[in-house]
Amino acid sequence: MSVSHHPPEDLLASFATGALDEAEHLVVAVHVACCAACGRFVRAMEMLAAAALEDARPVPMAADAFDMVMSRIHEGPVAERPRPAMASMAVEDPELPELLRRCRIGKRRRVAPGVSMQPIELSGRGTARAFLLRSAPGTRMLEHSHTGTELTCVLKGSFSHQGGRYGPGDFDYGDDDVDHRPIVGDEGPCLCLVAMTGELRMNGFFGRLINPFVRL
Amino acid sequence: MPNRSGFGFPRRSEAGQSIELKKAPKSKVEWADLIRRVGSDGDREAFTRLFEHFAPRIKGFMLKAGCGADEAEEVAQDTLIAVWRKAGQFDPNTTGVAAWIFTIARNLRIDSVRRIARIGPSSQDTELADAPDSAESADIMISRAEDVSRVEAAVGRLSADQSKVIQLSFIEERPHPEIARLLGIPLGTVKSRIRLAMNHLRDLLDEEQ
Repeated sequence: MSVSHHPPEDLLASFATGALDEAEHLVVAVHVACCAACGRFVRAMEMLAAAALEDARPVPMAADAFDMVMSRIHEGPVAERPRPAMASMAVEDPELPELLRRCRIGKRRRVAPGVSMQPIELSGRGTARAFLLRSAPGTRMLEHSHTGTELTCVLKGSFSHQGGRYGPGDFDYGDDDVDHRPIVGDEGPCLCLVAMTGELRMNGFFGRLINPFVRL
Repeated sequence: MPNRSGFGFPRRSEAGQSIELKKAPKSKVEWADLIRRVGSDGDREAFTRLFEHFAPRIKGFMLKAGCGADEAEEVAQDTLIAVWRKAGQFDPNTTGVAAWIFTIARNLRIDSVRRIARIGPSSQDTELADAPDSAESADIMISRAEDVSRVEAAVGRLSADQSKVIQLSFIEERPHPEIARLLGIPLGTVKSRIRLAMNHLRDLLDEEQ
């Protein structure tokens, strides 16, 4: 996989220190898992953080901390809680990367002609939402802008906008300055993982018409 | 800017202190050997030494990161339990001990935040399941030894000023005016200093082939 669009370095740094919102963490993780260069960058940040940990001022543990830890070790690991049944989609979709196959994924629904989305169910603490976006080949997305940020990792197929062509593994970072109109490649359907804060705003007459229904 | 989930990192109190990146090889090997002894023999004495060194540092790190005292204590205890249980998986060729422990603590902290969000603080289940936690599964492992030495070499070649600005900005999450004051540079240049340092790290990583 030749990846040519990467997350900005500050996003990778926040990913490495665990400071990202849950939905954004997931999208960056999916990119990093298939991009060796970004993986090395994250590892470098972890090394810098590890040096800070080594340097942290020690704060005394509770008096019984060691005994508590030893007794919990001897109790043995707690059996994993049974996970709620996965949405059926996980099985049907071997095309999803490993990381996403472990996520609970909601029902697929159509949001526009040729476009459907499936929400990824997260803990609910974060402010961004994550979802899978499927678009038919050749789909021209409506011209749109965002009120927040939009992080996208292409899983399959491709799209293009003024920033270039984005194929599998590529990462696109859009903020509220971006006003774009992506076109899905003709070679096949495009599947993307998206984390979005704020609202997606469709511009133009048709967009304003369907806006109330889109609610991504 | 990305949204932050509130997992900030410790801010250092003394500006003059710098983070020592290059640990003496001797101590590095020694920590790795202690982990090996825990993993292969369940060596309690080795584990005690790891506990005494790392648990209070993890607690201090987490307190500065904005955890409450109970939570910082819990993350530190849980991290050491995970160190015991995962010691057999530790591979000194692919990671350093402190980096390994940092990632365990970071993932436990992320998961504890998510668990509280899912089921509410009153019923939170603080026990560790043996199965990989979700932050861990969202983690990436560069498990090739050559990659790790490449990363180490690149981090080592970063100038002291540049690793300092990265640490202040991303690990300690200090605001730009404070970084300007600590480094004695104009506020207007902080952003470009950070960008330069990050680009330089990227270049060094690409060069280390």
